[in-house]
Amino acid sequence: MEQGEKKRYDLRLWIFPCALILLIVVIAMFSSTLRGENRSVNRKIVLIGKSTESEFFQTVFAGAKVAATEYNVELTTCGPDTEENYLMQNELIGQAVLDGANAVILSAVDYERNAEAVEQAAEAGLMVISIDSDVDSKLVRCRIGTDNYEAGRLAARAMLEGTDEDLQIGIVNFDRNTANGQEREAGFREAMSKEPRVRSMRTINVRSSVSDARERTQEMLEAHPEINAVVTFNEWTSLGVGRAIRKLQKKDGIMAVGFDSNTVSVGLLETGELDALIIQNPYAIGYFGVETAVRLMNAESVSSERIDTSTALVTRENMYLPEYQKIIFPYTQ
Amino acid sequence: MKETGLKPESGMKKKNTIQARWNGLVRDWPISAILMEFTVGMVALSLLLGALIFVTVYRRSLIQNMSTQSAQIAEQASNTVRSYQDGLRNSVELIRSSYRLGSERDKRLNTIVSVRPEIIAVTAYEPETGELLNAWTGDTLMKPYFTVNLSFTSSNLPETGEAFRISPPHVESFLLNSYPWVVSISMRAKDYNGKERILVLDSNFSEIASYINNIGIGRHGYCFIINDDGNIIYHPQQQLIFAGLKEEDTVLLSRSPDGSLAAEDAIYTIQSLPDSNWRIVTVGYIDEIISESLQKCIVLLVVLLLMVVLAAFLSSFVLTRLITGPTHELILAMRTFEKKASSFHYTPIEGSSEMMELSDSFGHMVLRIQELMTRVRNEEIALRKTELRALQAQINPHFLYNTLDSIAWMCEDGRSREAVSMVNALARLFRISISKGHELIPIEKELEHAKSYLQIQKVRYKNQFEYIFEAEEQCLSYYCNKITLQPLIENAIYHGLNRMIDEGLIRIRVACEGEDVILSVSDNGVGMTEEQCRDILEGRSESKGGIGLKNVNERVKIYFGEAYGMRIESEPDEGTTVSIRMPKVERGAYGAR
Repeated sequence: MEQGEKKRYDLRLWIFPCALILLIVVIAMFSSTLRGENRSVNRKIVLIGKSTESEFFQTVFAGAKVAATEYNVELTTCGPDTEENYLMQNELIGQAVLDGANAVILSAVDYERNAEAVEQAAEAGLMVISIDSDVDSKLVRCRIGTDNYEAGRLAARAMLEGTDEDLQIGIVNFDRNTANGQEREAGFREAMSKEPRVRSMRTINVRSSVSDARERTQEMLEAHPEINAVVTFNEWTSLGVGRAIRKLQKKDGIMAVGFDSNTVSVGLLETGELDALIIQNPYAIGYFGVETAVRLMNAESVSSERIDTSTALVTRENMYLPEYQKIIFPYTQ
Repeated sequence: MKETGLKPESGMKKKNTIQARWNGLVRDWPISAILMEFTVGMVALSLLLGALIFVTVYRRSLIQNMSTQSAQIAEQASNTVRSYQDGLRNSVELIRSSYRLGSERDKRLNTIVSVRPEIIAVTAYEPETGELLNAWTGDTLMKPYFTVNLSFTSSNLPETGEAFRISPPHVESFLLNSYPWVVSISMRAKDYNGKERILVLDSNFSEIASYINNIGIGRHGYCFIINDDGNIIYHPQQQLIFAGLKEEDTVLLSRSPDGSLAAEDAIYTIQSLPDSNWRIVTVGYIDEIISESLQKCIVLLVVLLLMVVLAAFLSSFVLTRLITGPTHELILAMRTFEKKASSFHYTPIEGSSEMMELSDSFGHMVLRIQELMTRVRNEEIALRKTELRALQAQINPHFLYNTLDSIAWMCEDGRSREAVSMVNALARLFRISISKGHELIPIEKELEHAKSYLQIQKVRYKNQFEYIFEAEEQCLSYYCNKITLQPLIENAIYHGLNRMIDEGLIRIRVACEGEDVILSVSDNGVGMTEEQCRDILEGRSESKGGIGLKNVNERVKIYFGEAYGMRIESEPDEGTTVSIRMPKVERGAYGAR
């Protein structure tokens, strides 16, 4: 009986202090969950682009860095040597897994052949987010970028507004397996299919480099001199198309619509080889990519599985308006 | 109890219920636990309250601090921007003076533009038509032709007499494959011929942009520049704003005077630049700073509380040592004492003064109880002895022999009647003496006993004395010690009457006096001196009668206490009265004994 009394005594002695400590621990935990961003100090995010040199990806990286600073995460940016090298992208994804990254943000070169590496990374516990160009995996948590289909239609609209003539269209697309290019072409073709002025439409697929795009475009224009409108869907091919038109001195005879901007393509727009540029918002793509990754890692809700960023149509006429200056010429220079 | 009894009844009732509830709550709780709960509770409460006040005050001072800090940063930024503008002014003077030169002019200006990295280009225009006259772009080539020139705009045309005018930042539009952001400074200047021209100096904006980019306030705070029209001149997160991901309420900021502006979650500090329409705005976020400090506060609180709990535990340990421990010891001692009272030896316990006092009291009590117990036991033993002696006195062989001799003599004489009554008296004497072993018998019986004895003695002493009983009727039913009167009567006969020549008289009286009963035996014999009286009472007398009186006195005192007992009044040659005082004892009152 004496022992029982002693036991009860000990218990009661600790009821209140224990309850108090418990309460405080709960409060402390609650307050730290409220400040979830604080926990992301040692989190690693790897951003894999299609290129590390294009103005487009430079700006993507710049936006991502701002978000990484704001959310206090460690960001690594990288990309393959060419925009067709899906193998190198797969290696970079594998390396990110080995390095213990918490999330991978990927702009896939190949819709299908990047899928396996993505799934392996997702199964290893990494958060995978696709930006700019999609990859064929259901394990991608969020897709961020331009609504490529809509961007294709915008390119069609720019072409139709730029000329009154009947159209013989040449499409210079890049890798057939890259999702965003295909979506843009599909949007463009869909918009053009309703248009009676369109006489013909042909597509060539080139490597995503200035020189290849220039050569192949030149070949196409020489083989089909009737072509009076050319559309192309990324930064490098836009430069290639512009150079080809300059070489053939056909800047007045060909209505050319390109994508993205850098100082050279802006020069081509100004001198007339290119007539319109669809400018995406790479800064926002990079920023949203990192922000979404952080939110998903903190188990916060993300508004949707797709985030569309804005696009703008720039022509010779509007390029020096103050608001377009800011879109075309980022301060990163 | 007495105190509460004096209070109004309602108050007492209320107090009682509160007390009852409180007692119910902590009933059967050890003191140390109650103290611990109480201490920890109070300290925790006060700590929480303190933390709350601390956080509130701290928050206020933090906001104050941040305002001050932001103002300082804004001031600093404005100084930097001003020195940037001063630099521009110097360049303006340099270019203006260079422009006056004759043949040296072009070379000098081109050198300035290529040597000074902040100067991108200098252009000269005809004031009326706006025709571009000259351009000095250093090492960078100009476009062969261009349609737009953002450096020369009508809004940026300085009036005559105006020193210069600074444009909002814009992209340089006339360089080949180069689109730097610049600020255009327009001025009127005269060439070597004295003709007035418009000179435009395009100055690189990236220097000031990178400076603004590096300004940080807290973790997320930043600094940006707007003009009076509410247009953003430069913002470190310009891209976010253009992308529509971020908004600044530039209209409100451009209208507000210099100073701090507290928004929902941020503090804006505005600082206007003199000599221009630019405004430096700094933004500091309140929440990040507050929640950081709050977190520190909570950590501190947790540590403090842990310390308090530890302290409370230690104090409860000490209290256990001081209160509970000694109390337990005392309880144990009491239990042991309860079980084995007589052999218990109490060793005082150590502790606080109260505890030691309690212990001392208990020690005294133990000693007193043990003393009383010893006394009771001793008294019991004495009583039995005296009783035994009284009984032994009854079967004094001398008395028995004489009585039987008297009876025999009577029988021989043929006085059979007298012999019979004598034998009856003797029988009654012994029967009452024994009284089934009871010590207390009714006074009535005692009187009967005395009568029997007197009857026998009267025969033996051949009617040398007479005796009278004077008993109050109401006293007869009370109880007294047996064999009380007989030794007194014996004493009266032997010492009072035996040596007398005249006929003696023995008077036996029973009377009530208040709460007591007085039994007395008087004689008219030779009497005694006071010394003799004392000797009898103290048992120093060697005579047999003395032992008898002492025995009676002792028994009465053992039974009823020191206040009762025997008293002897004697006057030599007059007589002696021996009286016994005892309380009125009802039947059954002392039954147990």
